[in-house]
Amino acid sequence: MPEVQEQKASPQRLSRVRLYVRQRPVMLVLLTALTVAFFVFVAALSRAYKDQQTALGNRWFERGIADMSGKRYQAAVKDFRAALLYSRDNYTYQLNLAEALLGMNRRAEASAYLLNLWDRQPEDGLVNLELARIAAQKGQMQQAVRYYHDAVYAVWPSQQERQRREVRLELIGLLLQSNAKGQAQAELIGLSENADEDPVQLSLLGDLFMRADDYEHALAEYRSSLKADAHNAKTLAGAGYAAYELQQYSLAEHYLQDAIKRDPNDKDSAERLKTTEMVLRMDPYQRQISQSERVRLVIEAFTTAGERLQRCAVPSGDGAGRGVVQGGTLSDEWSALKPQITQRGLQRNAGLADEAMDLVFRIERQTSVNCGAPSGPDLALLLISKLREGNRF
Amino acid sequence: MSLQADPESEVLADHAEPPRATAWIYEHSPRNVWRAVFREDNFFLVLSVFIGVLSGLAVVCFRYAIDWARLYLLGTGVVLTPLRVLLAPTLAGLVIAVLVIHFFPRTRGSGVNQTKAALYIYNGQIPFRTAIGKFITAALAIGSGHSLGPEDPSLQIGASLASVLGRKMRLSRDRMRLIAPVGAAAGLAAAFNAPISAVLFVIEEVIGRWTAGILGSVVLSAISSVVVMRWFLGSESMFRIPAVEMSQPSELIAYAVLGVVGGIASVVFASGIGILRPAFKALPRWTQYFQPAIAGLLIGIIAVLGAPQVMGAGYEYIDQAMHGQFTWQFLAILAGLKIVATLLSFVSGTPGGMFAPTLFIGAMLGAAVGGAERYMFPYLTISPGTYALVGMGVLFAGFLRVPMTSVFMVLEVSGNYSIIVPVIVANTFSYVISRGLQPIPIFDMLTRQDGLELPSMEELREEDILQVEDAMQPVEGPVLDAEETVEKALQHIDGSRGEDLLVRLSPGGWSTVTRDHLRALASEGKGTGKLGPLLLVPRIPYLHPDLPLETALRYIERWPLVPVVSRANFQQLEGVVSQRSVLDRYREFGEG
Repeated sequence: MPEVQEQKASPQRLSRVRLYVRQRPVMLVLLTALTVAFFVFVAALSRAYKDQQTALGNRWFERGIADMSGKRYQAAVKDFRAALLYSRDNYTYQLNLAEALLGMNRRAEASAYLLNLWDRQPEDGLVNLELARIAAQKGQMQQAVRYYHDAVYAVWPSQQERQRREVRLELIGLLLQSNAKGQAQAELIGLSENADEDPVQLSLLGDLFMRADDYEHALAEYRSSLKADAHNAKTLAGAGYAAYELQQYSLAEHYLQDAIKRDPNDKDSAERLKTTEMVLRMDPYQRQISQSERVRLVIEAFTTAGERLQRCAVPSGDGAGRGVVQGGTLSDEWSALKPQITQRGLQRNAGLADEAMDLVFRIERQTSVNCGAPSGPDLALLLISKLREGNRF
Repeated sequence: MSLQADPESEVLADHAEPPRATAWIYEHSPRNVWRAVFREDNFFLVLSVFIGVLSGLAVVCFRYAIDWARLYLLGTGVVLTPLRVLLAPTLAGLVIAVLVIHFFPRTRGSGVNQTKAALYIYNGQIPFRTAIGKFITAALAIGSGHSLGPEDPSLQIGASLASVLGRKMRLSRDRMRLIAPVGAAAGLAAAFNAPISAVLFVIEEVIGRWTAGILGSVVLSAISSVVVMRWFLGSESMFRIPAVEMSQPSELIAYAVLGVVGGIASVVFASGIGILRPAFKALPRWTQYFQPAIAGLLIGIIAVLGAPQVMGAGYEYIDQAMHGQFTWQFLAILAGLKIVATLLSFVSGTPGGMFAPTLFIGAMLGAAVGGAERYMFPYLTISPGTYALVGMGVLFAGFLRVPMTSVFMVLEVSGNYSIIVPVIVANTFSYVISRGLQPIPIFDMLTRQDGLELPSMEELREEDILQVEDAMQPVEGPVLDAEETVEKALQHIDGSRGEDLLVRLSPGGWSTVTRDHLRALASEGKGTGKLGPLLLVPRIPYLHPDLPLETALRYIERWPLVPVVSRANFQQLEGVVSQRSVLDRYREFGEG
């Protein structure tokens, strides 16, 4: 009997359990448990999936890097694209894809990737640099300079100072190329302030200052460089050129002589030295020379100018706006003055030397405009005219 | 509704109402709070969150399954080997056909329509088997390169999961009907990573109406599923969105051109399905074993011949098109080939959705139109990325015929609201052209091809709604005043027609009285008494002219005349409605 009762009771108990389980609170608890279990399962699945994706992405990325180093840009693009299939937003993959696209000269596509990367990390140095290069290639100077500046102040993964310096040098190169010498000079000053004592870097800075027509800074940089490496022929020549441009001919002569001593094959420096020596030798205004020597130099200059005038037919008037002779030409003036330019005439008349030299300078200036840059003694006289502008005996 | 409170119930309420503090303590007792949580409407909201979470998890698994299928069937690189490209979709097609015919017959067709069928026909029932079948077959199809998308299967997986949960939770029939759309929104939101668009789509295309009860659940499920999806797959948008720009308003003309082209392409696409799907279905049954395989083979051939972009969902190529990586001529070819490939996949009965192909075609077409316009009018500052984005919306509006979703989808995907004007302009053109040339929307067409008759959401949206003013008639006879005497009222009605008379109450409200009742009052010697207190019905409801006519149906049976009053002045009578006038109006409407 008890067994029969038990048999009857068990379906009842079962149905009671079922009823209980079907109550909403219980169902909700069961649903929560099911959700948690499913979540855990998906999390495990997700980890396996992501591991696989990462491995595949890395595999394609490594292939891409290998292709990039072999300059096989087309293959590299495919590899990086494949890598991005597995990690669509991977910064490094995208950056490398952009680099590979740039390698293939597909600037528009590369630009799209780089801009996307820039949105994500505007402080990334390489992205800014590449965007700057693209802008520069497109001729968008303002944008290029902005990106270059961002790259200069950006974060670089390694050798930050060196990278920043190189970016700045690239920017300066671009500015000089586009003849924005003022901007280039400003960048150079910024760069020189942070420059270290490396003579090569200092010499390079001197070269760039020279290209920016800032000879004073150039000379200073060359001198700094020479303190560390006094025998560098290229730096010596650079210093010589800078001094020459600054009309410090004695100093220029010193540096150029040293440069040629270090590098006898440097023809440009030799030529420049020759001119410098002529300037120093032919200048009748120099001190510590005798009166007769001065007279001799005036006569020599007058004769040289006359010869230059003969070689180059000069129209009436002075291109520089000075010394216009009404109704006459420089040639007439020269011919008119010629009889007076003798040793005796110059010694008798103190003002005649000035008059003669004034005509010489006008002739050299005018002929340099009409007949091209002079050379030899004519160049020396032109340089003396610039040096002595306003100076008189 | 402007029904005045029933005075009887007011009295009852006055007596039954306990003191406020007591009532508050009673309402907030733990037992009542517990009961309130599990009351069906609240429980439904809680369940919506679970539906969202579970659908999100299922969609994440589905995405993994597609990726794994692609990996093992097509290979790991971007350059696919021709042998795999030809074999993978063909062999997968054979397997899919066997699975669909023998194990999961309900996985054929559109998930949207099956969700609608669950809502309108099957009381929210979608077998769980359908979800499993859709998961396996769609993952295989998309992964092997069939030109279909994961959104529609995700939607159906969500709906099916929700239906199972609803059954297990023993929801009422009304709630059960609504639960499938809740799951559908969750599935679609997770697949698109776009909760607003998913909610709008479900409201616009599945449910067809905005009701507060369902909207809360749909939003909750969509949000929870997106949160889960982002947890696992990240929150990045589907595409790298290029800089969106429109420098001159005159560019809107160019976008209008895109709308026209998109509208025509939508019609071509929809007509293709309209013609080919019944034709394929009419073929002998044994051919169904080979239809997906042949479709796969043809798609493989297209890929081998130079357009592998048409395989699969193609999101990565949409991204590339947005960034100007194809010429406009190639983009136009890709759009055409994708239409062909999607038609082949879909009409062959391969399970999968058309959302992704629609986006693909739209993006390619948009970028192609943008590129062509830039070629012809170089002074326009046209960005192909912007055109591709707008193009996606254009196809959505024209092909799927969901104008609101199409706008919000583009905004949500791009995250850029400055694009809204071009999107609206282009989508409007596309929608209007598509509607003009293809009167039956694609989802309705598919429903009819499947032998079902589900309500057309487009027709519902555009249906004329009768209002009270359509059945309103002028008042016959005088309007009495509750302050006048019975005798005066009898004098007023003398010579007028109509048995029932309106009475204007003081200070406000309306009632009715019959001639017989007035005469009876007079014969009882109450002729000098004021009419108001002697009325049998102290107050009747009133309506406003702009209310839907169905509102009147609630009152016309009980009250012979229902006053229609101005909203500005409730004492100003605009007319009356009666049972006869309302039914006459409905009859006229039904006769067209």
